[in-house]
Amino acid sequence: MLKNLFKSTESYLLIVLLAFIVVVGFINPKFFTIENLFDLLRSSSGMAILAMGFFIVLLSGGIDVSFTAIAISAQYIAVNSLIASGVDNLAVAFLIAVGVGIAAGAINAVFIGLFNVPTLITTLGTMSLFHGALLEFMGTKAVNTGGLPECFKTFGHFDILNLTRADGTEYGLSVFFLILVIVVVVTWFILKYTQIGRGVYAIGGNKEAAKRAGFNIPKIQFFIYMYVGLLAGIMGIMHVSLIRYSNPNYIVGSELGVIAAVVIGGTRITGGRGTILGTLVGVGLIVVLEKNLVLIGLSSYWHQFFIGLIIIIGVSITYLQNKIRSKKNLIFVRDT
Amino acid sequence: MSEAILDVRNITKTFAGVTALKNVDLKIDVGAIHCLVGENGSGKSTLIKIIGGVLQPDSGSVTINGVAYDSQNLRAIEAIRGGIQIIYQDLALFPNLSVVENISMNQMVEANDKLIKWKEAYEIAGQALSRIEEEIDLNEKVENLSMAKQQIVAITRALTQNARLVIMDEPTSAITREDVDHLFRVILRLKKMGIATLFVSHKLSEVFEIAEEVTVIRDGNKVGDYPAGELDNDKLTNLMTGRMIEYKPYFYQDTEPEKPNLLEVRNLQKSGQYEKISFTLRRGEILGITGLIGSGRTETALSLFGINPPDEGEIIIDGKPVVIHSTHDAIRHGIGYLPEDRLNQGLFQEHPITDNIVVTVLKRLLDKRGLINSEKRKTEGNRWIKELSIKTPSGENPANSLSGGNQQRVVLAKWLATNPKIFILDGPTIGIDIGSKSTIHDIIRRLAGEGMGIIMISDEIQEVLQNCNRVLVMYKGRLVREIPNAAEADEDDVFAAVSGTSGGV
Ligand SMILES: Nc1ncnc2c1ncn2[C@@H]1O[C@H](COP(=O)(O)OP(=O)(O)OP(=O)(O)O)[C@@H](O)[C@H]1O
Ligand SMILES: [Mg+2]
Repeated sequence: MLKNLFKSTESYLLIVLLAFIVVVGFINPKFFTIENLFDLLRSSSGMAILAMGFFIVLLSGGIDVSFTAIAISAQYIAVNSLIASGVDNLAVAFLIAVGVGIAAGAINAVFIGLFNVPTLITTLGTMSLFHGALLEFMGTKAVNTGGLPECFKTFGHFDILNLTRADGTEYGLSVFFLILVIVVVVTWFILKYTQIGRGVYAIGGNKEAAKRAGFNIPKIQFFIYMYVGLLAGIMGIMHVSLIRYSNPNYIVGSELGVIAAVVIGGTRITGGRGTILGTLVGVGLIVVLEKNLVLIGLSSYWHQFFIGLIIIIGVSITYLQNKIRSKKNLIFVRDT
Repeated sequence: MSEAILDVRNITKTFAGVTALKNVDLKIDVGAIHCLVGENGSGKSTLIKIIGGVLQPDSGSVTINGVAYDSQNLRAIEAIRGGIQIIYQDLALFPNLSVVENISMNQMVEANDKLIKWKEAYEIAGQALSRIEEEIDLNEKVENLSMAKQQIVAITRALTQNARLVIMDEPTSAITREDVDHLFRVILRLKKMGIATLFVSHKLSEVFEIAEEVTVIRDGNKVGDYPAGELDNDKLTNLMTGRMIEYKPYFYQDTEPEKPNLLEVRNLQKSGQYEKISFTLRRGEILGITGLIGSGRTETALSLFGINPPDEGEIIIDGKPVVIHSTHDAIRHGIGYLPEDRLNQGLFQEHPITDNIVVTVLKRLLDKRGLINSEKRKTEGNRWIKELSIKTPSGENPANSLSGGNQQRVVLAKWLATNPKIFILDGPTIGIDIGSKSTIHDIIRRLAGEGMGIIMISDEIQEVLQNCNRVLVMYKGRLVREIPNAAEADEDDVFAAVSGTSGGV
């Protein structure tokens, strides 16, 4: 029984999420409204997109802690470029942000793929490097709502579906959700139907075997870290559009929340195993937790505490599972 | 004259001064079943790696399917294209992926399709499996398969790449006897398809069972090629080791009959694994336990070592009942355990051999300040390197410079160094060549002679009969036979008990 439970972390997690939602809904009946759901989707799509990126990295057996630094760099550079050039165009903003993100990802990949530096060491270094360079060369001054190009504000308010409240005012489902759906579908397609995607699973499962099978491992690693950079760039623009304020010290520091979401979503830190669905459920859990801690009577400092706890528990479960497996193999070397 | 799929000539290979191969030739005919034998460190794995293009020889040539490569220009990819498929001991599978992907992956990577065609993948895998008449659930993850099934997956994958010669390095050392039979049937099916097999094994009975042609190498030199029919056990042993190996049975005499049993197990029970296990062990005894995998032998042993606590029953050491709930308890009560699965029992591959040996006994090597005394460390390391004749120029070399069998000896040394009161050895000579087996058996006897109680678990009936004074046979979780005087036992009779065809006690 215990083993089955460990096997399908996802389904277990889904139950926890549902139970949690029910409890929250009980305390706060407003939680169950469509409006609240739309709100949650608007504010957490960005995090879910980062989680997709981190999920792929973890799947390949790597770790990336630099993606928040990439996201804020992409955002701040894009915002300032638009202001400096006077161009007020969302597409240009996206191009710049995504370009910065991919370039930063490529830098990670050079160290990881070509020089074989461990992923954690590389990204710990580049996190500091990217953020430091941003503050040094782009400045530390926040861009407030008044100075922000209009395109961001319009984008942040753009809804793909509008509903009317009882009092006649409108609320809607943000375009952010659509972007998230696209990212999820693309990521799913890459992982399931492309050779490079299967390569991600392969190197996460057995790197040596992947090498012998003929996979070009550096190429896969370049893809992974550049894809993470791309997603970070997209998230950077979404983030500034949401809060209508660009501060070069934002986003950085939120990586642990993303990591916790992916880990609790059942992706193993040892690589090779994990699902997109699990990751999304993990994000849901972290978001609901974060948004409702105060509601259930705990100070928001508890959030940090829980994030840490979740990472530790998630990682311990991986070790437990490994232990159960090796015990099983030692004792029952029988045909299944 | 039949056509050769592989013709290796005059291969020489040295590693930093150690000559691993000297002018070795090897020719394998289309569809032949060929066996490569030799002692640990004689150069078998090295030769295989050269054929696979993974290692480049210093000189010599390799001709695959009529295409000749000289010493520098055979690359792995060409060997694969020429139809050479090597199945290493680690199998190189993806544990996290399904059977279908594991089988079809290499072909898809080779074809360099950007997109995965799942339907095609299922077809490739299904067809390849049915070609060797195997059935495995295509959607099952490889990590959930037994070792034997994983091997079949690896072989099947080889077939998808147009294998003409499948090379297996010690495929039988990690699987059960039934699975070995199964593997041999697969090899015969490969033969019918015109695919040759080259395999390495230290179990001579297997060599006689399946091989048509046997090539013997000793110390990097080729001794010769022999049709299997012209060889017998003694002859082959002599060719491999250059000496005759004689077996003397182990006789045991209780010199202190007044003392309590060193170990007594009463009605040990664990549901689903074994029932009502009772036996005794006296100081100086070598007690053999044999039985098929799944007979409960390893499970019982693990219970004594605290890894697999029993549900019921008593364990009594030196007349005192003890509770063993963890390996820590077991070690505290003087029990040592050499695990069966030594491949995964982690040597520190990059670290010196000596450090790997002394890691279990560091406490004994400390000087007054609590630091490791480098003199003592070296002495202890060298002592075991010598005792187990581990083939290395220096104990400071990393463990991964050793051949497979020599790595096994390091693991053995590491546990022997702890000098326990009761020593459980699970498959003590798996992967160890015939000559060194007797060295290891001698060491075990000497330890017993010094008063250690030894439990030797093995599925090689001969091994337990020749080395133990008393043998227990397990079948389906029960003790079905006790053979008080192993030297006089009849092998066929024991075999019947092991396979459950004799009706039991
Ligand atoms: N990378 C290496 N560096 C140094 N020496 C090596 C290396 N690989 C192999 N050797 C040496 O070459 C010799 C032959 O080793 P090889 O692995 O071919 O033996 P083997 O016949 O496969 O033995 P076993 O039966 O134990 O597997 C050994 O003395 C080994 O120590
Ligand atoms: Mg070898």
